[in-house]
Amino acid sequence: MSDLVTVTIDGVEVTVPQGTLVVDAAKMIDNDIPVFCYHPKLKPVGMCRMCLVEIGVPMRDRATGEVLRNEDGSVRLNFGRGLQTACTVVVSDGMVVRTATQPVKDAREAVIEFLLTSHPLDCPICDKGGECPLQNLTMRYGRGESRFDFSNKILLDKHVPLGELIYLDRQRCIQCARCIRFQDEVVDDPVIDFHNRGRRLEIVTLSEPGFDSYWSGNTTDICPVGALTTADFRFGARPWELTSVASVCTHCPVGCNTTLDTRREAIAGGRSVIKRVMPRQNEWVNEIWICDKGRFVHHYADAPTRLKQPLVRKNGQLVEASWDEALDLVAGKLQQHKTAVAGLAGDRLSNEDLYLFQKLFREGLGSNNIDLANRRLAGGDVVAQVGLASGSNLKELGAGDAVLVVATDLHEEAPVWWLRVKQAAERGAVVVVANLRPTRLDKFATHRLHYAPGEALSTIRQLVNLAKVEMETADSDPLAAAADALIKAKNMVVFYGSEGLTYEETDALARLLANLLLVKNGEGHVGRPNNGLIPVWPHSNTQGAWDMGVHPAFAPGYKPVSEPGLRATDIYAGVADGSLKALFVIGADPVGDGLMADRGQLDFLVVQELFMTKTAELADVVLPAQSWAEREGTFTTGERRVQRYYMAIPPIGDSRPDWQILAQINERVGLGKPAFAASLVFNEIAKVVPQYKGMDYRSLARVEKQWPDVGGEDLYYGGTAHENRSGLGQQWACVAESATVERFDVAEQPVIARDGLQLVRVAALYTSGTLIEQSPVLHHRMARPTIQLAHADATALGLADDDRAEVTVNSVTYETAVRVNEQVPAGLVLLSGVPYIAGLTTAQIRKLETAVAQPTGD
Amino acid sequence: MITEILKGMFTTFKHLLQPPVTIQYPEVKRPVRYRFKGRHELKRYDNGLEKCIGCALCAAACPADAIFVEAAENTDDERYSPGERYARVYEINMLRCIFCGFCEDACPTEAIVLEDNYELSFYDRASAIYTKEMLLVPVPPGGQPTPQKVEPGKYDRAIPEMEDPK
Amino acid sequence: MALIAEKYAEEIEGILKRFPDKKSAVLPLMHLAQQAYGHMSREAMQEVADILEISPTHVLALSGFYSLYYEEPVGKYVLEICNDLACALRGADEFVEMVCHKLGVPVDGTTADGLFTVKTVMCLGACDRAPMLQCNLKFEEHLDEEKFDQLIARLRAEAESGKEEPSVVEKIMAYAKS
Repeated sequence: MSDLVTVTIDGVEVTVPQGTLVVDAAKMIDNDIPVFCYHPKLKPVGMCRMCLVEIGVPMRDRATGEVLRNEDGSVRLNFGRGLQTACTVVVSDGMVVRTATQPVKDAREAVIEFLLTSHPLDCPICDKGGECPLQNLTMRYGRGESRFDFSNKILLDKHVPLGELIYLDRQRCIQCARCIRFQDEVVDDPVIDFHNRGRRLEIVTLSEPGFDSYWSGNTTDICPVGALTTADFRFGARPWELTSVASVCTHCPVGCNTTLDTRREAIAGGRSVIKRVMPRQNEWVNEIWICDKGRFVHHYADAPTRLKQPLVRKNGQLVEASWDEALDLVAGKLQQHKTAVAGLAGDRLSNEDLYLFQKLFREGLGSNNIDLANRRLAGGDVVAQVGLASGSNLKELGAGDAVLVVATDLHEEAPVWWLRVKQAAERGAVVVVANLRPTRLDKFATHRLHYAPGEALSTIRQLVNLAKVEMETADSDPLAAAADALIKAKNMVVFYGSEGLTYEETDALARLLANLLLVKNGEGHVGRPNNGLIPVWPHSNTQGAWDMGVHPAFAPGYKPVSEPGLRATDIYAGVADGSLKALFVIGADPVGDGLMADRGQLDFLVVQELFMTKTAELADVVLPAQSWAEREGTFTTGERRVQRYYMAIPPIGDSRPDWQILAQINERVGLGKPAFAASLVFNEIAKVVPQYKGMDYRSLARVEKQWPDVGGEDLYYGGTAHENRSGLGQQWACVAESATVERFDVAEQPVIARDGLQLVRVAALYTSGTLIEQSPVLHHRMARPTIQLAHADATALGLADDDRAEVTVNSVTYETAVRVNEQVPAGLVLLSGVPYIAGLTTAQIRKLETAVAQPTGD
Repeated sequence: MITEILKGMFTTFKHLLQPPVTIQYPEVKRPVRYRFKGRHELKRYDNGLEKCIGCALCAAACPADAIFVEAAENTDDERYSPGERYARVYEINMLRCIFCGFCEDACPTEAIVLEDNYELSFYDRASAIYTKEMLLVPVPPGGQPTPQKVEPGKYDRAIPEMEDPK
Repeated sequence: MALIAEKYAEEIEGILKRFPDKKSAVLPLMHLAQQAYGHMSREAMQEVADILEISPTHVLALSGFYSLYYEEPVGKYVLEICNDLACALRGADEFVEMVCHKLGVPVDGTTADGLFTVKTVMCLGACDRAPMLQCNLKFEEHLDEEKFDQLIARLRAEAESGKEEPSVVEKIMAYAKS
């Protein structure tokens, strides 16, 4: 029997895969069956009854199984005794569905009328008003007037904060449970649920803080009424007043597609400001979800503390200057110190910025002294060879496939990847998690490998070796079982991060994992879609920085340079000892991050930034740059998908886009006329970087029809996530897709004897930083410095749960909370809520005797 | 011919004796008709709370795009209007306004009303923008100015009484 | 807090053994918790959730759904009077009024001596014997003022003597041990 069935819906035949629901089959031929509780990304429940339709199936003779026919030869249909819910009935061959008959219309009218008996009809003040499924469906299918008495409405609480981020209006809730099901089924944070019964039903949360989930904002998108709204957008604007501009999230390497909804504001002096961030559908990247960090951390673009004018140091003071003065000074000083200049970039900059930055150094100044200010994770060159092959979609991973996640806590570092790996596990994929400690992904993993501190590389090396030999599947050694499961998988995707590892160790790790992917078992696991390596980069465009050659040893396109320049660590040393005379820092704050003590022996320091950072305070010239929302550009995700973002708000002050500033400096050092648009810079990139060949701003903006249908007219089906009209991006092909890749040589890492408690810094999504601090709505959720350790270790230090401690690591002291957690392996201390610390370290931990009031954000 | 001249002069003299029709504006003002649409006013309830809830439906209905509204949230310590939402910014550009009255029709709380004032003239464009303070009517006798501090839970509905459309 | 884990360790083990999935044991455990804590307090919910490794919100949802879990402190005897349509037609509303008046408490109120809580509930399935009430899981039917007085007197005497009917928890424990 074929996997396809043909059904007739309102006279239109449609052939769909078996197991499709009637409501989805109808949607495929643009027949909108109205729904409230059904959502294409959730399991059907049939609670709201809005999707009632007439469903007929062919009648068969009981004895022979023959299809019965009418006298005129047509198939006799059994329509049952009543209407059926289209969201719970699965299509079957020969099924006939009628969605426009009188009984169906009557049923819809009745359901709407009934839902409105307790709905407050306060659409004028409702944040959903204007994009509300209940409003739209009432206009389309409702009776127009109610037979119920308006004064009989039950009045329920209208202002129930479920935590600080999401507000509940009990009276507006139509009890579809989409939010509850989303939290339970999709993201496994069942922190909200229904309480009581009937009309008194309400959504409650008991978590601390309330509605404690990184995904809470998504429930406001799929809520079919205005019952759940975000604190951030509360009464911010009416939906029809907003201008939507496509963008890309800047907070992690996933590169979620977003939409910036903007509006002119009187209190912003008539400027356009970002009112909210909404997800934009891209089924290859983030589907229709974004995490709360992506949704709420956008206020930095409009922050009053943004730099507005170029600043030049005169008589020891930074004073405002004209652009020409500042740029002439920068170009002159850089050329003057040609032999002793260096450049440090941040990895939140766009590809265009990074390309022009390295061009300034390589072509304009003839120096390879260019690096990322804060390198945490190596392996970009390995990823270029065996990265996740183009045409991949993590959504396609399922039974028979495998995912290996090493040394990263995806839930904290790249939440959407965590979600997609979790969903792959639920579809039957083998998920192997290798880390120092349990993470949230362990719950869904089929194999959990917890290695001892310092044994990460040896464990992975062992895993690779075990993968090479055929084994009995019943092997009791967990490592062997994991290796076996991985290598036998049809497709294998490997994520790796830097938790508890130094930069050098991550380089070896990337090579080892590449070798694992290269182990031949059948076709091998490189160069095919849904196979390959994904680095969990620390920032949104670390991948782009590798591609663009912001690296002392690689020119754009991973071309090795003959004379590698100074690495970031050498640059910091050079600043201190005077061998470097001029430093250009762009989009980074090495002083604030504790990487650089001061300006050392520098003659000239130029900083290009959004804010007056600690580094900028020491600079000779400060160049005000534009945030991502004010300009165009492209980011490259960890899956090597190049994605475009667009200009959403006008520039703050006299700031300029980074690429433009750099192009104007480049002109002054003799690199020709500056490009006048970001797209032209990208065209140059496409010429120079072989991986980007054939891409341009138009090809990146290409879209195609995606399933399920979200956004557009029918908000009730998929929620208010925006339709993607501005580009799905393009994945560049790794070497393995067109050529054979040889195994990587991995130098044996020296085994370091480790005594005593080992401290590892673990990531937390809301870790304090310049950008996140500008979003007051998240202040209560910020990860405070906390150490977690096992009971025995805590007792040995005289610590108990809820104590306060003073932790000194690498001569920096933090005051932390103490959590005794039996999940933490003995001998390990997890430190979270503090800036990045590479590798394993030892720390002095001292109990704070006096009870110090816990600092709270306000 | 003489008769014709006399006829004409008679008409002239007849009008000479009639009272003058000229009204001594601005000293004297003619009353406007019941349905006259003059400058907008933002109304208050008897207790002084503003009727406007900042829903911006007037702005949506305005064919000339003359109205601009920014909403914010009420608290019981600082209450401007009943319910959760009030207009933090309310501006009408009188140069744009065509006095069609659609805003009146769109208003769910009957907060905006086009009243009798037709004396709208400006020396510059900026002064043609009427702010919320200029549009709001004075607090009625016995009422309190906004923001008010009220007891919690007293004004939790934005639309106190819903009436059938007339 | 680990009140029920200490008090009913053996019973919890017995209950858990009966279910293939830990989560399924939530209802009997909630009865234990209600007995131990007096009512389904937030601490009680948290403890049940901790034992079963589920979200405390889920326990709260269940206690809200089922009318036999009390989120507010209740008296020793909970008088749950059915005032659904059929009972109302047979005078349940007047009966509730009379009961409240007699005990001097409103609906959902508890008498000062902590003995009686009056609640109204939806159908108990004894419409033909209305007015009726359920007192600690036992039906009292065909009630009128005289019978109600007798019932209260009996319960007061019972409370003083210390002799009690087996409670729902005792039934659960019997079930767990069997």
